Amino acid sequence: MNTTEINWIESLRSPNLEEQATAMKSLRDILLKGLRIALGGRGDVSEAHLEDFAQDGLLRVLDKLDLFQGRSLFTTWAQSVALNTAFAELRRKRWRDVSLDAMMEQGEHLAEPSTLPDDSLGASEDQSRVVIAMRKAIAEELTPKQRAAIHAELDGMPFDQVCSLLGTSRNAGYKLLHDARKALKRCLEEAGISGNDIQLAFTP
Amino acid sequence: MNPNSSILSPAQVSEFLRQIVVTRDHEVDCGTCIEHIGEFAEKRLAGADLNTVLASIEHHLSLCPECTEEYEALKKILETESVKQ
Repeated sequence: MNTTEINWIESLRSPNLEEQATAMKSLRDILLKGLRIALGGRGDVSEAHLEDFAQDGLLRVLDKLDLFQGRSLFTTWAQSVALNTAFAELRRKRWRDVSLDAMMEQGEHLAEPSTLPDDSLGASEDQSRVVIAMRKAIAEELTPKQRAAIHAELDGMPFDQVCSLLGTSRNAGYKLLHDARKALKRCLEEAGISGNDIQLAFTP
Repeated sequence: MNPNSSILSPAQVSEFLRQIVVTRDHEVDCGTCIEHIGEFAEKRLAGADLNTVLASIEHHLSLCPECTEEYEALKKILETESVKQ
């Protein structure tokens, strides 16, 4: 950490309230500028949203100050925290009307030909073999939650929203998907389908 | 949910299979990725080599659209600020 970095932390924690307020205002301005660069062109983000995101981001940075370890510039780290906060809110708003029941219902069809037809990748025998093996693995190896999470993600639902509906943290949700991918990979390998076979199946 | 999403498109199926192929036994989660994303973005911008931890962040980004979205936004900020300096 260089001197400038140490000053950020010290100033934001300063017992001198004037110094602390000045640092907080400076950091908020930096976050707002960054958010304008990153999100300013989006149709669903107004200047008022950017102001709110900067304020929420600042509060989150202050809340997580102990976690900053100096592996990047302080301002880079703070921007990443503010972006994470802003994107979580944007994703939540976009998908707030989707219910858990609807997501679980879609997931139940993931292993069916109506969702994954034999010719999903193409008409060749090798391509169909991969899809049929995958359907079998999905049906036999995955839990309803895993099927629902995979289908929702493939359908474009943000992962934060998937986790929110399932009532899990993002880390626990990632593990749910990771375990599913590992199980499917193992099943395909046991069925004699290697990664190379799958790569070839992508080729028309 | 998207009412027209009952049949997965070839692109969706291909993406699903790609994710299965690149799956590793040990992967970092989103929390770890976000924790290191600033360092990763700075190193990438500087064209520096990635250590083992940052290589695992790169792998996570290949599997996680949300973390990638946040990384791309951070990269845009750093690149813009870098041009100004």
